Amino acid sequence: MSRESSPSVKHIQNAPQPKPTGLWRIFFTFGMIGIQSFGGGSATFLLIHQTCMKHGWMDEDEFIKSWAICQLSPGINLIKLTILIGRKLRGFSGMLAANSGLLVPSAIITGLMTAFYTLYKDLPAIQAAMRGILPATIGLSLAMSANLAVPIFKAAKGEGKVRFVVQMVIIAGAGLALALDWLSPLWIMLAAAGLTALALTYIPTPPPAIPESQNE
Amino acid sequence: MNLFLFFWIFLKASLLSFGGMGNLPFLHKDLLALGWAKESDFITAIAVGQLSPGPSGLWSVSLGYLVLGPVGSLLALIALSLPPLLILVVSTFYSRIENQPIVYRATRGLMLGIIGLTLGTLWDLGQSAIISWLDVGITLAALALALSKKLPVIVILALAAAAGLLFYS
Repeated sequence: MSRESSPSVKHIQNAPQPKPTGLWRIFFTFGMIGIQSFGGGSATFLLIHQTCMKHGWMDEDEFIKSWAICQLSPGINLIKLTILIGRKLRGFSGMLAANSGLLVPSAIITGLMTAFYTLYKDLPAIQAAMRGILPATIGLSLAMSANLAVPIFKAAKGEGKVRFVVQMVIIAGAGLALALDWLSPLWIMLAAAGLTALALTYIPTPPPAIPESQNE
Repeated sequence: MNLFLFFWIFLKASLLSFGGMGNLPFLHKDLLALGWAKESDFITAIAVGQLSPGPSGLWSVSLGYLVLGPVGSLLALIALSLPPLLILVVSTFYSRIENQPIVYRATRGLMLGIIGLTLGTLWDLGQSAIISWLDVGITLAALALALSKKLPVIVILALAAAAGLLFYS
């Protein structure tokens, strides 16, 4: 509220430090990333990565570390990543500018498209098109889940057969518990976290394939 | 409709989610139980989310619109934007939890849980979206094309729409 863009704002000249990135520029850059990204997170992730490297907003190490932190906290990973980049650039206002850019234009388009759909959903042509789109959406969602699962499967596979099977069973159990209405989703999540933590703590990993030569 | 309850349901789903579709199982359960949304609203919203630009998590903005109009989409957007702020807390503690294996083990468990929950919910959704053998074919074709990463998602959906127009009109 106290921040004004009046010309009386004093520009502090700090010779060794580069000029901070303008808030509008942050907003527009992330706005372009938002409206250019179609069909899931990986495209957006690559665009954000490219942009950070191009403008020197983060180096590779910091970017990877930020992404790792994003995995440990709830919500949409791309929003969390954008928060960390925005904060680095301009503190709180940078976070706000970056995320408004990422989300607001795209959310407006999403809202308008939904409004358009509700207006015209009774047209025979729209209904016929939707009969094709809806099953395809299920297929695309399955592919998204698979993309989420593949890195975990790879990690789990390297940890030995027993651990791999246990983790597959936890996925299947979570799906079944939901489909058969055994538990609420929240309890399923807590159970999955607890069981996995136990399994990964107490089930040993097989010894590494390369034998150690220092033993006699 | 109780706006606070609406907001809370969307906020809770986002708080418990990991990844863009992670809020689906929670929203599906709560909104169906209240009778505020139909099974078809979820697939429609996910379809719009795939067709429109932005992070895939924005699908719930479309769901908010289907349930409660423009106000619903605004509330859904706010509910989506708040939980990620917890990253600021996590990043402060990161140097302390970075080397705690229990954090990674529990997080792995949450990811496994969300994958299972999403598959379970997609099973429910599929029962209303996939009615004929042709629908099964479209589902599998979309899955295969998306996994092969040869075609952009929007082209896959355009092909599916064309198939729908061809066979169902």
